[in-house]
Amino acid sequence: MNWILALPELVLALSGLAILGIGVLPKRNTHFACAMAAVGAFLLAAALAIGAPEGSAFGGQIVSDAFTRFAKVLILIGAAAGVVLSLDYNAREGLDRFEYPVLLVFATLGMLVMVSANDLMSLYIGLELLSLSLYVVAAFNRDDERSAEAGLKYFVLGALASGLLLYGSSLTYGFTGTTNFDRIADALSDPSKASSGLVVGMVFVIVGLAFKVSAVPFHMWTPDVYEGAPTPVTAFFAAAPKVAAIGLFARVLGGPFGDLAGQWQQVIVLISLLSMVLGAFAAIGQSNIKRLMAYSSIGHVGYALVGLAAASEAGMRGLLVYMAIYLLMNLGAFAVLVAMRRQGRAVERVEDLAGLARTDLSMAVWMAIFMFSMAGIPPLAGFFGKMFVFKAAIDAGLWTLAIVGVLSSVVSAFYYLRIVKVMFFDEPAGALDPRPASVSFVMAASGVFTTLFFLYPAPLVAAAQAAVAALLG
Amino acid sequence: MFVGAVFFPLLGASIAGFFGRWIGDRAAQLATVICMVLAAACGLTAFWQVALGHSSQTIEILTFVDVGGLEVSWALRYDTLSAVMVGMVTLISTLIHIYSVGYMSHDPSRPRFFAYLSLFTFMMLMLVTADNLVQLFFGWEGVGLASYLLIGFWYEKESACAAAMKAFIVNRVGDLFFMLGLALTFWTFGSVEFSTIFGSIDQHMDATFAGFRAYEVIGVLLFLGACGKSAQLGLHTWLPDAMEGPTPVSALIHAATMVTAGVFLVARMSPVFEYAPTALAVVTVVGASTALFAATIGCVQNDIKRIIAYSTCSQLGYMFFAAGVGAYQGAIFHLFTHAFFKALLFLGAGSVIHAMSDEQDIRKMGGIWKKIPVTYAVMWIGSLALAGVPYFAGYYSKDFVLEAAFAAHSGVGTYAFWCGIAAAFLTAFYSWRLIILTFHGTPRADHHTMEHVHESPAVMLVPLLVLAAGAVLTGAVFAPDFIGHHWEEFWRGAIVNAPHNEIMHHVHEVPEWVPLLPTVVGLSGIALAYILYMLAPSIPGKLASTFGGVYRFLLNKWYFDELYDAIFVRPTRALARVLWQTGDATIIDGVPNGAAALAADVARGAVRLQTGRVASYAFTMIAGLAVFVTMLAFGAAR
Amino acid sequence: MIAALSFYAFAAILIASAVMVVTSRNPVHSVLFLILAFFNAAGLFLIAGAEFLAMILVIVYVGAVAVLFLFVVMMLDIDFAQLREGFQRYAPIGAVIGAILLIELFMVLATWRFAPEAATLRLNPMPSGVTNAEALGRILYTDNVFLFQACGLVLLVAMIGAIVLTLRERPGTRRQSIAEQVARAGTVSVRSVPLGAGLKEIGIARPPSPEEEEPKQVEHHHGHGGHH
Repeated sequence: MNWILALPELVLALSGLAILGIGVLPKRNTHFACAMAAVGAFLLAAALAIGAPEGSAFGGQIVSDAFTRFAKVLILIGAAAGVVLSLDYNAREGLDRFEYPVLLVFATLGMLVMVSANDLMSLYIGLELLSLSLYVVAAFNRDDERSAEAGLKYFVLGALASGLLLYGSSLTYGFTGTTNFDRIADALSDPSKASSGLVVGMVFVIVGLAFKVSAVPFHMWTPDVYEGAPTPVTAFFAAAPKVAAIGLFARVLGGPFGDLAGQWQQVIVLISLLSMVLGAFAAIGQSNIKRLMAYSSIGHVGYALVGLAAASEAGMRGLLVYMAIYLLMNLGAFAVLVAMRRQGRAVERVEDLAGLARTDLSMAVWMAIFMFSMAGIPPLAGFFGKMFVFKAAIDAGLWTLAIVGVLSSVVSAFYYLRIVKVMFFDEPAGALDPRPASVSFVMAASGVFTTLFFLYPAPLVAAAQAAVAALLG
Repeated sequence: MFVGAVFFPLLGASIAGFFGRWIGDRAAQLATVICMVLAAACGLTAFWQVALGHSSQTIEILTFVDVGGLEVSWALRYDTLSAVMVGMVTLISTLIHIYSVGYMSHDPSRPRFFAYLSLFTFMMLMLVTADNLVQLFFGWEGVGLASYLLIGFWYEKESACAAAMKAFIVNRVGDLFFMLGLALTFWTFGSVEFSTIFGSIDQHMDATFAGFRAYEVIGVLLFLGACGKSAQLGLHTWLPDAMEGPTPVSALIHAATMVTAGVFLVARMSPVFEYAPTALAVVTVVGASTALFAATIGCVQNDIKRIIAYSTCSQLGYMFFAAGVGAYQGAIFHLFTHAFFKALLFLGAGSVIHAMSDEQDIRKMGGIWKKIPVTYAVMWIGSLALAGVPYFAGYYSKDFVLEAAFAAHSGVGTYAFWCGIAAAFLTAFYSWRLIILTFHGTPRADHHTMEHVHESPAVMLVPLLVLAAGAVLTGAVFAPDFIGHHWEEFWRGAIVNAPHNEIMHHVHEVPEWVPLLPTVVGLSGIALAYILYMLAPSIPGKLASTFGGVYRFLLNKWYFDELYDAIFVRPTRALARVLWQTGDATIIDGVPNGAAALAADVARGAVRLQTGRVASYAFTMIAGLAVFVTMLAFGAAR
Repeated sequence: MIAALSFYAFAAILIASAVMVVTSRNPVHSVLFLILAFFNAAGLFLIAGAEFLAMILVIVYVGAVAVLFLFVVMMLDIDFAQLREGFQRYAPIGAVIGAILLIELFMVLATWRFAPEAATLRLNPMPSGVTNAEALGRILYTDNVFLFQACGLVLLVAMIGAIVLTLRERPGTRRQSIAEQVARAGTVSVRSVPLGAGLKEIGIARPPSPEEEEPKQVEHHHGHGGHH
């Protein structure tokens, strides 16, 4: 029993419990201390994840390899940034309760379990740990109807998705007699055994995962939840869990169901097409910037899935690079959203950014960089993400996907540029409140990455390459 | 030095852009101008060394992307073609910077302006010194971005914002084709490096794509991309609107940089185009049509800058059909001379506008030539060069282009030749219409404006005089090198003419009347303008009312904007609205207003609405699931 | 023979009561049918030789979960008819899609067959010489300890969630503070009370009120200060 492999998870679990203890016992407000402890735990876990040895543990229920390392580090970065973004916001909105960092720690733990899962059971439990924590934090601002509504909606639909995932898992178990990924792959390596029952089970699993990444047509919760949840929670939602769920997608479809590529490719192509198109068009009419970002993230998931649809090594690599870039630039954009406060109140309309260039030039410039990057304008990081996945799609002969992707990124450039236009060319709507240093830090770090990625993309691409090699064996 | 020519503008842009607020307007201006002067010095030296001193080279900067068989290094390619462009761009951009110091002296946000201007120059230099298609694309997009910023510089003006958006979106359409062309190039050659592509031209001669020869498809796609940047027929609509930017911007965009990018691309990819006859025919026809089409519109416009803008459009048409018949050298030569006299015309127009207190309508000018003699003189020189009057710069290049079209002896070549001749006549006509209406006759501006008419300050006049010298001399000085008998030593393979393409020799063997004809029609165009607007100013009005339909057709620019609005803009907007309404307003039925509704109607409404909506969400999910299961269950192996 | 008969009896009742759970109009009846279903499932477990599971099912599900359901249903007074109203609108399309899915699942079922190893697994429900509970324990605490612990965290998160979303500290509520009670000294004394004596005789003992205590404390401190 090689429990060392699960060290990052163990550390997070124990620190979660410890933080809970720190938070409960003292009489005064311990939110800040707990949040800092959570960030520390994330960084420690990231260090451990980088140094983790390779192999599988707990009877093959979890694995540790280059892929888990890649995904875990990304997730932990996203989670740490999510906590940092929440510090000031929560204090101002009266949400500074210590349960918040505790829940985020457990959510992150769930994500780590998800990406290192090598068994349908550990997959499900990781997913459920993540989901349950997210349901609660979505409704964390319980006195706000929108937040409560968001949490409830997310819970009901998430339960449905979990049910579908479980049903798919049980079908798979029924037809292969095992839940272990390696043995499912073995069972499928003989094509004659690939019965329609397995295919249907796989579709159910895909649907359950597609809900988590909010791919069309399982995206309906996204705009409502993104809008309703407190902004730092939305930032958290849009970053780390997306990476974890996409990573899980890659793991499940590339590993156990790798031999059914011909079948799942059709589903992923369709999901990806729909997501790209909807993400591009539905965002145009939005005036609430969080809602707009929700549609934007739906579109981005569509682009990322283009890489998965290619079902090739290059495609998977593109997928991972895309998610890394998406994570980092999205954190930056949400840092701007978190910083949008006027006279002590959080504001979230696109018009509230009007004339930002004249009231807070540096924030406007960062935001413009993120928007241009999301629109895929070179030489910003977002362009490279798109380039990798589209190239993989073209190599795999998926011309439709690549062309629709390029077209929809042209359409989506419209609403990204609208934000830039509002910031730079509209009459100022009054200055925003000064932003806290923590938010500026996230914004600047993410901005620097987005801008300078093109100078030295090699490390990220090499890490993704190693991860894919581990994934596809 | 070679690196300096490219990166000094970036340095200037960074100083003015990031530190402009701290170091003040003057320092920011000074920094950008000094950087540009240094860049121009480097650029001209590079031109001297590379083009005239015959020493091409490539300078590695760093490796850009190196993954999955796509290796792109960042290098500056200096051959004659690049050197010509670098020298021209840095020189003209420097003059425009200096001019802007005077022109923009009343504007509150000068550091920003200068930063954009330098950034724009940098991007253009990146484009022309690119060593591979990806780097070229980087510069290409960067130019688009910078032009968006510059055209929308006066963002208080609604029309400026709209024009900037329009320029950006129309350019994106072109870029889309460029990207496809780029992808196809990579697919065909397995590389985006120019040296690799040009070296393996012979091996991929028979490659096909979707049933067509790959070279043809690449050629057409790249040309469509070039159309966007170079405002050729169909994608030209952004160019006249781009006049909303400050006048130096117009000069920079229309004379030296952005619009010439397309012509440059075609010349750069000449090895591929040489083996794509159909693509070349397309280039010729579109170029020739644009030349004539834009000239017709130019005849009836009333905004001084728009007239010049349409003339740019028309001159770009000349360049394209020159490239189309295989005389890339002629295209680049015309580009080169055109840069000088078009910059001159724009800056001269800026000087007029400056003098007339920001009036741009030539119907409200007139009779001011005595008050601004220097401007008047340089406008004459610019127009003479534009009309191709002998011994001015335009004469050499335009004549060569037309002779090349004639010498092609092909159907499309002949079409281009006659279109070019007609356009030359119209060009001369509208140039003199502009001069006469602007400077002569009775003053039509109000008394107050007329009192304030004044010659521009020296900082604006000096660039004008330099450009005027260029407009007079560049043709005669450089013609032997660019297109004359020394052309082979001069270009040294920077532009490739296939063995079967002997147009550069044929050009010198055309009949006597061919070189004479452009001059004759040019002079007759001037004469017609003189008669109509100087001697009998009542005739044009009568003509306009007699041929009302034609006049309105031309005045409304052949209704291209309206056409695009109907075909593209409105359906997109409608589609967006439909998606928004069904996807959001109907199904979700108002979480945007849901919050408000909830606050007002907390207890009862909230629960009802929520369950209803969640059910429909869940329903969508199940429906999606059913679709996927059905899709696979009937396609799966049993 | 008897085992087979009772299996079919339990199974039939189980399915019938499951149908009633979904269809009955009265929510309380639904919960009662659910309890019936649990009992029958426990019976099935017994027949299969899993007596520990059978007992757990009865204790946990019937004893705790279902009773909790009953409480919730009775306390909340949900108008199910009203909920169904919204459902009716989607019923036709929903039925069509549901039917399609169902048909497909039946088709899937038709292709189902036992895995080769399944037969051996079924014959050996547990290693010989080991009790039912111990076999379960081995699986839970040894083979699947990772998942078991993770499940524990899921439950912890559920608990935290419930507290976060519902617990409100209202001003003015008096709550027991054990630490304070334990730390209290000198204010409570244990007395032996004579038999037969009423309040009239021994009087009511009250803790000293804080107002009285304050000055005392101050005095005490002063005393200390003086000594040092």
